[in-house]
Amino acid sequence: MRRLTKELALATAAALALAGGAWADVIKVGVIAPTSGPYATYGTQFRTGVDTYQAIHGHEVDGDTVEFIWRDSGGVNPDQARSHAQELIIREGVDYLAGFTFTPNALAVAQIIDQSQTPTVIFNAATSIITEESGFFVRPSFTLWQVSAPLAEWAHGQGIEEVVIAVSDYNPGIDAETGFRTAFEAAGGTVLDTIRMPLATTDFAPFMQRVRDAGPDAVFAFLPAGPPTFAFVKAYNDNGLPGAGVQLLGTGETDETTLEALGDAALGVYTAYHYSPDHDSPENEAFLAKLFELHPDAVPNFSTVQAYDGAHVIYEMIRAAGTDGPAAIEAVKGLEWISPRGPVQIDPETRHITQNVYIREVVRDEDGQLVNREFETIEAVPDLGLVNDY
Amino acid sequence: MSSSASDVAPRRPLLAGRGLLWEAVILAVGVGLFFLFPYDLGFLSRILIMIVFVLSLDLVLGYAGVATLGQAAMYGTGAYAAGLIAIHVTASPLLGLAAGAVAGAGIAFVSGLVLMRAHGLTLLMLSIAVAQVLQEVANKARPLTGGADGLRGIRMDPILGLWEFDFIGRAGYWYVLTVLILVLLFLKVVVNSPLGLSARGIQESPERMRAIGTPVYWRLVWIYTIAGGIAGVAGALAAQVTALVSLEVFNFDHSAEALIMLVLGGAGRLYGAVVGVAIFMLVEHVAAAVDPFNWLFLIGALVLAVVFFVPAGLLGLPKALTGLVRR
Amino acid sequence: MGTLLNILVDGVAYGMILFMISVGLSVTMGLMRVINLAHGGFAMLGGAGVHYLGARLGLPFVPAALLAIGAVVALAVPMERVLYRPIYRMGELQQVLATIGITFLMIASVNLWLGSTLLAIPLPDAWSGTVDLGFRSLPMHRLIVIGAGLATALGLWALIDRTGYGIRLRAAVDNRATASALGIDTGRIFAITFALGAGLAAFGGILGAELLPVDAYYPLRYMVHFLIVVAVGGMGSITGSFLAALGLGILDTTARYMVPDFGTIFFFLVTILVLALRPQGLLGRAA
Repeated sequence: MRRLTKELALATAAALALAGGAWADVIKVGVIAPTSGPYATYGTQFRTGVDTYQAIHGHEVDGDTVEFIWRDSGGVNPDQARSHAQELIIREGVDYLAGFTFTPNALAVAQIIDQSQTPTVIFNAATSIITEESGFFVRPSFTLWQVSAPLAEWAHGQGIEEVVIAVSDYNPGIDAETGFRTAFEAAGGTVLDTIRMPLATTDFAPFMQRVRDAGPDAVFAFLPAGPPTFAFVKAYNDNGLPGAGVQLLGTGETDETTLEALGDAALGVYTAYHYSPDHDSPENEAFLAKLFELHPDAVPNFSTVQAYDGAHVIYEMIRAAGTDGPAAIEAVKGLEWISPRGPVQIDPETRHITQNVYIREVVRDEDGQLVNREFETIEAVPDLGLVNDY
Repeated sequence: MSSSASDVAPRRPLLAGRGLLWEAVILAVGVGLFFLFPYDLGFLSRILIMIVFVLSLDLVLGYAGVATLGQAAMYGTGAYAAGLIAIHVTASPLLGLAAGAVAGAGIAFVSGLVLMRAHGLTLLMLSIAVAQVLQEVANKARPLTGGADGLRGIRMDPILGLWEFDFIGRAGYWYVLTVLILVLLFLKVVVNSPLGLSARGIQESPERMRAIGTPVYWRLVWIYTIAGGIAGVAGALAAQVTALVSLEVFNFDHSAEALIMLVLGGAGRLYGAVVGVAIFMLVEHVAAAVDPFNWLFLIGALVLAVVFFVPAGLLGLPKALTGLVRR
Repeated sequence: MGTLLNILVDGVAYGMILFMISVGLSVTMGLMRVINLAHGGFAMLGGAGVHYLGARLGLPFVPAALLAIGAVVALAVPMERVLYRPIYRMGELQQVLATIGITFLMIASVNLWLGSTLLAIPLPDAWSGTVDLGFRSLPMHRLIVIGAGLATALGLWALIDRTGYGIRLRAAVDNRATASALGIDTGRIFAITFALGAGLAAFGGILGAELLPVDAYYPLRYMVHFLIVVAVGGMGSITGSFLAALGLGILDTTARYMVPDFGTIFFFLVTILVLALRPQGLLGRAA
């Protein structure tokens, strides 16, 4: 009995030492992201982003080693995301959480990170409300309002007066729709028709008919990346909309991972987004050089750089506050740095990233590769979507 | 999967003697796991909830012999009902469970009126279609359900006013384990009731049951409804423990995985569901950790191996052996 | 009017794709009473094959497509012999499970082979763009799909109605035991039919890749669509599959044009209604 008590005491002391973190030499970061299933690309991109950051900036912060621990969330699976978070915090003793591709998975850990005071860095999940659900969320990714509203203003400035909005019928689509419509109508433009397309659809010809019938100057679209965006851009071309003078405006539709598959159909599409690997800056060049050195076959896109910047945010929090969660969150508010995507800042109010949004056109570069070429910059755009009703 | 008449007959007298042995074993294992794996209570709770869900399918498929691929319809309805009740009416966990059960049973009854008239492929398609329609309805009812972002804002009161849901998941684990044991006991009563016995009879020969005057269709509807209530309870548990409900509760994968787990363990035996879920989720958990990119190979091979080599499920193995010895 | 015509063309094209992929499934299911959830996998394998041969190895589209279809057929024959034969004798439930297991293996294989991203199929340049019919211009690709679908339907009709194989096949579908007793080698009939169905699925998967883009999770994503065509058309009926595929294709397309907000609900409600009224499908015989 006495031996047992002694062991218990020892175990408790060890646990306290880990929790207190005063002498900790390994600081663990738990990453919850899809590495299997249809969305496995996100997991791959996150991993290459984090790898690249650690390769450039080292694995240590002030003598403490930073270790990333990966957990597979599959697709949208809040139950699993939550139990992963519990296991990472309780068993692995992580001091930070990161990852999250889908909004429900992120929302499912809100109560846990509040109770355990674990700063959590969102690598992707893009619904505005997430950062309001817990004070421990920090989001260096983007929201759909952030990219679609500037696009609307720019388009109106280009003489586009009438648009049709076509979005997938789920929350990110509705966010994009609301963001674009609000900004476009505020600028004085007219939205002729709004089409909400079933999420599972990959045959878009009927919608293209509707767009054609309305006869707008442009169609603004938002769909989840992958088969839907591919089929949408194909249908846009096959149904002769470019010939009918209808410009396609988008956000992530020309994502680099599907761009080559789209081929020439994507040429001339205008999009607004926060990152293109084609971005011309020394920071981006350094980032890409290291990335291709580590992963020669990688196809970097927005999620790679979001994870890269996410790793930066985590490093800075560790540098400022070690394993003290609340202090780390305080330290990250207002943090500024030059990301491969350009100058960025964590908004002290919303804990969301303020960043440049670029207007891009799909062109072939010098090597004949399709790229999103940035030609106009809207500077320092905050998250515009925190006022949001259906 | 099919059980002979002699299999049913000796079961009743045995009830008194061996009666609660399995439940006691499951309870003991459940309690033991709490102390053995104090860091994995979240994962263990998910297993227990899945067992409740698969048990509901067992009643329909294992006992009544009705193959469906839409059990997620009732699970999802129960989850949304429990979540909405918690947000808008009362945060009491038990009332939430009741709401989940009623909602699941209600959907099962209404859809069962159509489904139980069909067979084979048509039944499979109808059951899938019901779940798909419900998923789309939940997506369209965005102001109410939160749509693809998920239903958030669920904050449960302490269980019975005593035990608070903690982030380690201790209270949640005890809560789910208790509900599971109660569901097992309830199902034991159901399958040995006249309704449960006639379900077995219908599985063996609907014609014979019809000939002796059993209203086959209505019996099936009632079985489906009861199973729907239990699936609703499973959904409600998930909603309360995770404090979030997403549209994916209605996913086809969810129904299909439940079916795999049930057959893995052995359909038509309540403990088959327990064993099947535990093994499947453990294999998936370990395989996903070892090779997060290719574990689907293992799952596919596992499914094929079970169907080809142990069609009665893992629990069928010892039973077949003892059957031989006794003879 | 013009719009209506376009919707009709799109709906028919979509229906033709559904028909080509589902018809083999319908016949094999009618013949052996086997519920095969893995059938869409053959369409995916065809598409993946053309992606590999065309986009990665640089083969022109037509030889790539022919090679890919041939490869799928060559794979289907041993699969039928080793995997499916034991499955025919199983119960309904075990069939569902075994074929789900096969689907998982197909997905995992393609995922390992080509990754989980979209597998683009480079079509000949002549296929893109629109064709001016004088009164109306229509997308070239849709016209080719419709032509291929009609040719498939006609070819199948000739095969079933005019050849010895067709006579034996019809006899086996109608009553397998009797056909077998009359000396028809039903096992062989089934092997041929299965391979034919797999080849047609691959053909449909390749041609339809613009409408139903191919990636590793294709068999699960569209499984329900293919099975609904069979259920609505009636198992074992080629005409039924044709009518159901066209009907559902046109219905789905029109619903998406008229009421895009409720397209999915509408599609599944109609399916439920049809199956509730005619559980054996449009042209299926009552069990």
